[in-house]
Amino acid sequence: MINLARRDIANHLGRYILTGFGLGLLIGVTLTMAGVYRGMVDDAKVLLGAVGADIWVVQQHTLGPFAEPSSLQDDVARSLEGLPGVARTGNVAYLTMQVTHAGKDQRVMIAGYTPGRLGGPAFLIDGRPISRAHYEAVADVRTGFEVGDRLRLRRTDYTVVGLTKRMVSSGGDPMVFLSLKDAQETQFRKDNEAIINDRERLAANPSVNKPGQPGLLPVVEELQTESHRVNAVLVRVETGQDPRRIADTIKRWKHLTAYTNKEMEDILIAKLIATAARQIALFLIILAVVSAAIVAFIIYTMTLGKLKELAVLKLIGTRDRTIAAMILQEALGLGFIGFFVGKFAATLWAPVFPKHVLLLTDDALRAFGITLAICALASVLAIRAALRIDPAEAIGG
Amino acid sequence: MSEPAILIENLTKRYGSGPTAVDALKGVDMRIERGEVVGLIGPSGSGKTTLLKCLGAVIEPTSGRFTLAGEVIYDNAWKRKDLRALRRDRIGFVFQAPYLIPFLDATDNVALLPMLAGVANPVARAMALELLTALDVQHRARARIPELSGGEQQRVAIARALVNRPPIVLADEPTAPLDSERALSVVKILDRLAREYQTAIIVVTHDEKIIPTFKRIYYIRDGKTYEERGEGRAL
Repeated sequence: MINLARRDIANHLGRYILTGFGLGLLIGVTLTMAGVYRGMVDDAKVLLGAVGADIWVVQQHTLGPFAEPSSLQDDVARSLEGLPGVARTGNVAYLTMQVTHAGKDQRVMIAGYTPGRLGGPAFLIDGRPISRAHYEAVADVRTGFEVGDRLRLRRTDYTVVGLTKRMVSSGGDPMVFLSLKDAQETQFRKDNEAIINDRERLAANPSVNKPGQPGLLPVVEELQTESHRVNAVLVRVETGQDPRRIADTIKRWKHLTAYTNKEMEDILIAKLIATAARQIALFLIILAVVSAAIVAFIIYTMTLGKLKELAVLKLIGTRDRTIAAMILQEALGLGFIGFFVGKFAATLWAPVFPKHVLLLTDDALRAFGITLAICALASVLAIRAALRIDPAEAIGG
Repeated sequence: MSEPAILIENLTKRYGSGPTAVDALKGVDMRIERGEVVGLIGPSGSGKTTLLKCLGAVIEPTSGRFTLAGEVIYDNAWKRKDLRALRRDRIGFVFQAPYLIPFLDATDNVALLPMLAGVANPVARAMALELLTALDVQHRARARIPELSGGEQQRVAIARALVNRPPIVLADEPTAPLDSERALSVVKILDRLAREYQTAIIVVTHDEKIIPTFKRIYYIRDGKTYEERGEGRAL
């Protein structure tokens, strides 16, 4: 039997391919949106994977350090090291800042860690790790910095001694690693005018500058500028130990909140990017509906354009299922062209996006199935119209 | 006398019901032998198209009897369930416009019918080519329909109508768009093929050029047919 769909397509191949191309661009946008979501999830998880902690210890009753503010004394790490089953710990401080490089402002996440302990970059692609207590930085390659460049944070210059890759915050901002001390100072350092102003305000406060107590004012000043707080303590457990059990122990005895790595991942995905994910999901649904409407409209118009021929086909004895199969195959063909054009387009333009767009093969396969399902669904209207045609219409009158 | 290709007895067709009902056919009788070409002539609204639709098994008559090559097709009800297969295997259609499938070439337009009946593609194409050769358009066998002239398209349409060797072919104004010479040539072809394939051909026409060529003519007026002997002018 002749494949009617193939012949019909071949008869107006140019128009058909152009239509498929247009649909493909729409599918490309859909795939890119899915890639944006996957990129967000991947960004959210990349830091967790890189630091390699089994447990994240944060301020009690908080979802810190990413979803909520969390503040701990940096000596908490030492008390955690004494717990049975804990192998290593590391203090970390995270803050987001704007830095200038080559005349351009960009947003980065500063990560402070103690060199040699948990919390540093997973690997370097150039240079060396931080080896001095101060004024050295390791930057993600996306910041544009190179080894030897100077990086200014507040009033201090840091030398970029190493470069890392794919180290981004949950928001997708590239990271800059500093020593913990530098990060703490950066977090709380004020400009000169603010320091002078604060000193004058304190000196003018009679409750802290009492006559006869000359030592009180310097102590208060010292307390106000001290920076011994961190956002979280990372814990790695000994081999064979259950992180869940140790996290429970920390919660029970240390008056802190402890999350396993998996729980932290859930917090990042469920709390931080939940709204954005819903936004993208809604957008994907709208795109799917628009694609379906376009395919339905195209196939319906194509069918209406050959009503007389369909009536003749029915008159000469063509089965309904042959006609339905022809329309269905044409719709699926559009989906097929559209998908591959879309996949190609998405792969082509994904690297241009400022944030990570992760195009997964699984998503592509799923999209392929959904595209074909949508095209099949969209052809129903045209099939109904074709099957309703009365073969008598082929005979005049 | 052998059994006729078509035997119609007291066929009626009523559209609608009650006071607005219209009787399009009011008792039509026809008898057409195999190999015969007859004309069906009548003014607009006389019931020609309705009769053609009834004979083409696309609308159901209201009453009467319709026998096709000895098989009773309709006797106050359809006798066959699969009218689609009936149209495909036993009735050929030729229209005023050829209504060929534009996305198939000439051969496949003709071969489609036997293919629909389950004939293997090469056999169906051979059958199509045989008819295209008989109609002298074999040189255009692989041409797409828009590339064919009006006359060539009409010949391909005739080939399609005859490819399954049906006992009857219904031709609705097949010469209307053609000039005298081509119109007569089409009738000549129909006459030759009717004899060759032992097919009865009913030609619905208003065309003054071809009316004198019929040996028998059915006139239809107000839903009733009247048989007359035609001139049967030599082609």
